[in-house]
Amino acid sequence: MNVSIAAQSPPIISLQNARFSYEGGVEALRGVSLNVARGENVAIVGGNGSGKTTLAKHLNGLLKPSSGKVLIGGEETSTTSVATLARTVGYVFQNPDYQLFCTSVSEEVRFGPKNMGFGHDDESALAERALKLMGISHLREQSPVSLSLGDRRKVAIASVLATSPRVLVLDEPTTGLDSVESAQLMATLGVLRSEGMTIVLITHDMRLVAQHMDRVIVMSEGRIAFDAGVEEAFSDPDRLKRCKLLAPPITVLAQRLQAQGLLTEGATTPLQLVEQLVRVRGEQQ
Amino acid sequence: MASGTENEEILDDELDQPDGAGFVPPIIVARYGVLTALTAAVTFATFIYFAPTKGYFNMGDSMVFFCAFAFGWRAGAICGGVGSAVADVLLGAGFFAPYTFLAKGSEGLVAGIIGRLNGGSKLAKVLGVAAGGSCMVVTYLLCEVYLLDVGWGAALAEAPGNVIQVIVGGTVGILLAWYVKRVYPASGAL
Amino acid sequence: MTRFEDLYTEADTFLHRLDPRVKMASVLMLSLLAIIMSALTYLLVLLTFIFVLLLLARSSYRKTTFAMKFVLRFMALIAILWPLFDPSGTPVLIRLGPVVITEPGIWRGLASAARVGCLATVWYILIFTTSQRDLVRGLVKLGLRFDFGLALAIALRYFPTFGTVMDSIIDAQRSRGMEFEKGNIFVRARKYVAVLGPAIVSALKTADMLALALQSRAYGARRNRTYLRELNMRPSDYVALVAALAMFIVPAIAKYAFSIPI
Repeated sequence: MNVSIAAQSPPIISLQNARFSYEGGVEALRGVSLNVARGENVAIVGGNGSGKTTLAKHLNGLLKPSSGKVLIGGEETSTTSVATLARTVGYVFQNPDYQLFCTSVSEEVRFGPKNMGFGHDDESALAERALKLMGISHLREQSPVSLSLGDRRKVAIASVLATSPRVLVLDEPTTGLDSVESAQLMATLGVLRSEGMTIVLITHDMRLVAQHMDRVIVMSEGRIAFDAGVEEAFSDPDRLKRCKLLAPPITVLAQRLQAQGLLTEGATTPLQLVEQLVRVRGEQQ
Repeated sequence: MASGTENEEILDDELDQPDGAGFVPPIIVARYGVLTALTAAVTFATFIYFAPTKGYFNMGDSMVFFCAFAFGWRAGAICGGVGSAVADVLLGAGFFAPYTFLAKGSEGLVAGIIGRLNGGSKLAKVLGVAAGGSCMVVTYLLCEVYLLDVGWGAALAEAPGNVIQVIVGGTVGILLAWYVKRVYPASGAL
Repeated sequence: MTRFEDLYTEADTFLHRLDPRVKMASVLMLSLLAIIMSALTYLLVLLTFIFVLLLLARSSYRKTTFAMKFVLRFMALIAILWPLFDPSGTPVLIRLGPVVITEPGIWRGLASAARVGCLATVWYILIFTTSQRDLVRGLVKLGLRFDFGLALAIALRYFPTFGTVMDSIIDAQRSRGMEFEKGNIFVRARKYVAVLGPAIVSALKTADMLALALQSRAYGARRNRTYLRELNMRPSDYVALVAALAMFIVPAIAKYAFSIPI
């Protein structure tokens, strides 16, 4: 977590005891409070039906809390339209096929900025920048529907980035990608991150969380079960299991090695584990 | 169903039917099934969406016209007719289902025949919308007066809404047919 | 689409146990009965009878009101507008230029409204008590071609799925700043291309997958396919069928052979 920024400016996302029930009575959020600072990278994880997507849909006003407050950039979502919130929060849906509808990639990427009335020149500049960031400038003239899933997903993300949001919410962005595509995508997110973008990632992939995120919010039955830094979040396997989650293999391995007295501290990424092992060997010698 | 249009003939060849059971090829069964479902879903969802402000307006006709233009008069009649009728039942207007089947079925059928003349030119499609739409409006009117016996008053009260639906649905249907042909040519849509 | 609810509820009433074909025949008979009747009193009796059946089917209050939701407006429209277009009969109640309102005109309007009420609600006896599978199976047994029945089954199966798909697409486009609430009806309708386009493409992709699944399960391998669960008429089904037929035929004979006004 970027502590210096977090401490200074007001949170860009703030939920205050937000509750939400779907029509028909299922209570999907049962009092959620959290703050996300500018530039933070947060993963929302949890089993199916734990309320993570419901929570995410509150971040750009697609859903409005039935009670409590959701503030985005200081503005309350219940009195702000989705179109206005979309200038601050970009939301990338899980299935790119539910989003892409234009006959060419460049048209698709310009759609968002056009809706927001940026003007033709800005539109072009923003679209070009988004295409470049996602590394798909060469696909400009192609039809989005005919692309591979990995490329379709990139187009979907580019089309959201083109609206130059300050927060990017991604719902399961790596589903159906092979490991190379997945790594590429995460590298791109790393670039955005270094530019100060606030990223909220909804995912089932704990390895991704361990590698790339600062903070983990674990949802269970419509509540935040716990909210912690990555290492702490994965430190208690029983607690994770209660929330229908498993720690990434590296963390489990490190925990077992610790139990055997071979390591002194835990690890969440392969790199950390190697560093730990090197240090332990150094101490032994 | 004999293969009539070009599109279905291609599929018949591709799909190498098991020896003459005489069933419609699986791709046609699947496609008619999903298009029927989508017609019903669009009617249902847009009905809800427009309901608070625009009374009885829905976008179902755009799907009827799309099916007719992209996949021919059979798809227009079957998917459009059955899909719209199913939506009626699910919306709580089941008594209308048989008349809807006739009205929207004839709309799809006529639009499919006329709209694909001249290789499906723009003019043909516009004429298809006009002719198919007229069929729908008149069928509803006659069914309501002579079969449902609601009297000319109630029947005529429904007609202007139907005309607007045809104009809007026809425009969107033409755009959709053009769109799907362009972005998903593998579907074989004309 | 969130408001969609499955109309069929599982329960063990005699209406649920009845053969779907018998239920279809009964609905048809009751509908025909409503069409030949013209006396307001008898139509109200029939309407009450239909509601008793809906109650016996243990349909919830919510569902019963759902079945009436649209028809009520339509019934009101008929009752109000009918007398304006039907100046026949006496006594004349109001004469305002070309508009003549007579007392029989008002009664006929009410009767017509009640008839439409019957035709609207009788359907739901079938829909509330018959699962999709039994519905399709019944139609196939009645002579609907198996492949058409299969297409219908696919349609019913995918209806809620595509509803959810449309919801997601609408959400995704709104997230990119599209405002469906703005503009006149034509502007709004054009925006729906951004929703219907992706919906159609994903539906057609689903169809391609389904076709492969059908082929890999030997669809069309033989014309006379067998069924794991056959529909068999039980004695109670025959009793119900005869009762339903009688309910239409007896009044029909009374009306047309003996000119008894009903």
